[in-house]
Amino acid sequence: MKKEDSKPTLEARRGFLAKLAGAATCAGAAVGAAALGGIPTVSAKTEAPPDGASFPTKDYDWTKHQWGFGVDATKCIGCLRCVEACKTENDVPRNAHQFRTWVERYVHIEGEEEVHIDSQQDPVNINASGSEKEFRFANRYKDAKVDKAFFVPKLCNHCTHPNCVQVCPTGATYRTKDGVVLIDKTYCIGCRYCVQACPYGARYLDEERGVADKCTWCYHRITKGLQPACVEVCPVGARVFGDQKDKQSPISLFIRNNRVQVLRPDTGNAPNVFYVGIDKEVI
Amino acid sequence: MPKHIIRLLALILGVVVVAIIAPQFLTVDSFYRFGHYRANSVPEIAALEPVLQTPAYCKDCHTERHAQWSAGSHKSVICEVCHGAALGHPQNGKLPIPKDTAKLCTLCHEAMTGRPRTQPQIQVAQHSGGQQCTVCHNPHSPKIAAAVAKVAGNAAAGKQKSADCAACHGEAGISPNDTWPNLAGQNAAYLARILAAYKSGDQKDVAMTPLAQALGNADIQNLATYYAGLSCKGAAGEKAAGNLAAGKVLAKNCAACHGETGIASNPAWPKLAAQKQGYLANALKAFKAGLRKDPMMAGVSRGLSDTDIADLAAFYAAQSCQSTK
Repeated sequence: MKKEDSKPTLEARRGFLAKLAGAATCAGAAVGAAALGGIPTVSAKTEAPPDGASFPTKDYDWTKHQWGFGVDATKCIGCLRCVEACKTENDVPRNAHQFRTWVERYVHIEGEEEVHIDSQQDPVNINASGSEKEFRFANRYKDAKVDKAFFVPKLCNHCTHPNCVQVCPTGATYRTKDGVVLIDKTYCIGCRYCVQACPYGARYLDEERGVADKCTWCYHRITKGLQPACVEVCPVGARVFGDQKDKQSPISLFIRNNRVQVLRPDTGNAPNVFYVGIDKEVI
Repeated sequence: MPKHIIRLLALILGVVVVAIIAPQFLTVDSFYRFGHYRANSVPEIAALEPVLQTPAYCKDCHTERHAQWSAGSHKSVICEVCHGAALGHPQNGKLPIPKDTAKLCTLCHEAMTGRPRTQPQIQVAQHSGGQQCTVCHNPHSPKIAAAVAKVAGNAAAGKQKSADCAACHGEAGISPNDTWPNLAGQNAAYLARILAAYKSGDQKDVAMTPLAQALGNADIQNLATYYAGLSCKGAAGEKAAGNLAAGKVLAKNCAACHGETGIASNPAWPKLAAQKQGYLANALKAFKAGLRKDPMMAGVSRGLSDTDIADLAAFYAAQSCQSTK
């Protein structure tokens, strides 16, 4: 019984192997022929572009820039127009838990040790705006005895040593030559490893598309000579953006003329968002 | 060599061949061009279309608005902050004009802990009585720059000239008639501005127009100085018919410019406290009907009913004209 049963199986296996070998040989022959024949194939496309061609677009050469971002927290008025503009510009889901940029409010109340921290996604603030799709800080401390209070805009730090990139199993996130950490959404498998790895909480999983998402410094704008949307709309100049290779750019001047800090320098990530006017609770 | 070993070697060879060839087909072409990622994703991301277009995009068609905006104090607030992203405009229709400005403007201007002091902020409850901001402010250039006319006249000369006015406005600027305004103690800058308006024809009145046309510029300065220097005591605290309490509530809408009890904070705007009730009511009706022209007053008076006007007039008429300071 056993023998009778195994006979067809064995034959099937032999047949399969024979076909596989045949297919492999054919494929190999095809590739070999193509390569020998000089027909442009897959490998030909990976060669460097001809001299003079710039990457990633024909008007923009990423080797000529090194972007940087500055935040002057002493200027921020907490109007959240940056959050609004970012959601619009980058088609970020309109809900209260997914943001590419956000603003935090730090409030020290007289006689209290703990600092009160809230952002636009706090239920009280959602209540004040009337909807999860609109953003507004509630005037919740108007009757409290406040020692000190300030707003701090936050976003992806586009670290020089990004650990989100290090942990990505598919090479879907990477740091460009001009210093921007991007996500290749066609390669992202939505494993959320990077979301966990980021010490700044700058990434989120876009459940609708099943991919990780975060600030790109509006890469599609800066490569066209525009400012990131949040910088464009900030009415008080609390956000500064520019090319660190240009010594007269807004960011170079910002770094040179101020004593700047980065968030969580101890992580060794070497962030590229520089802050002015923040307390130890923020760092 | 035994047959099964040959088969095994053949199998291993096959696997090796597949392992070498398969990546040629399975790896995306641009992977590893610059690093452990797909290089082509960079131009893909860079090719996305910007949604916010910046004011330069709006300038060509909305030239006038753009000029006004870029000269005003809101020039750091770009068009799309209030009107929404301009991608697809004008092809896909108009951009919204914000309706609820009381909500929109307070995003930045509500007095709030944590906001830097340099930011202009208002106590919402005390500022406008819930009116829309656009009633008084032009959102494209919101600063209310009431031109304060410089008044440097001679009070003595003004007194001489005032003989012409005394018949209606009283000898000491306290009008004997309810329909004519008191002038004593009024802001000089306002008096000078309004006289000049009668003279130029910007404002018309059967009695005032010919009289003002006869005045020289120096006369206007002198008169304004004279009347502003008079005591308004005789006008104080008139008992008035009308609902004072209702008037007080309505007056909150006027407080930003005319002061809480009708003592204006800016000399370009008139004092209303202890003014004649009939005159106040007529003036408001004239603004409402467009007979007196002032963009701000037109906006404010538009929503007032005749009862509201009577109540407001009664409230201001009953206030003390002397500043409590």
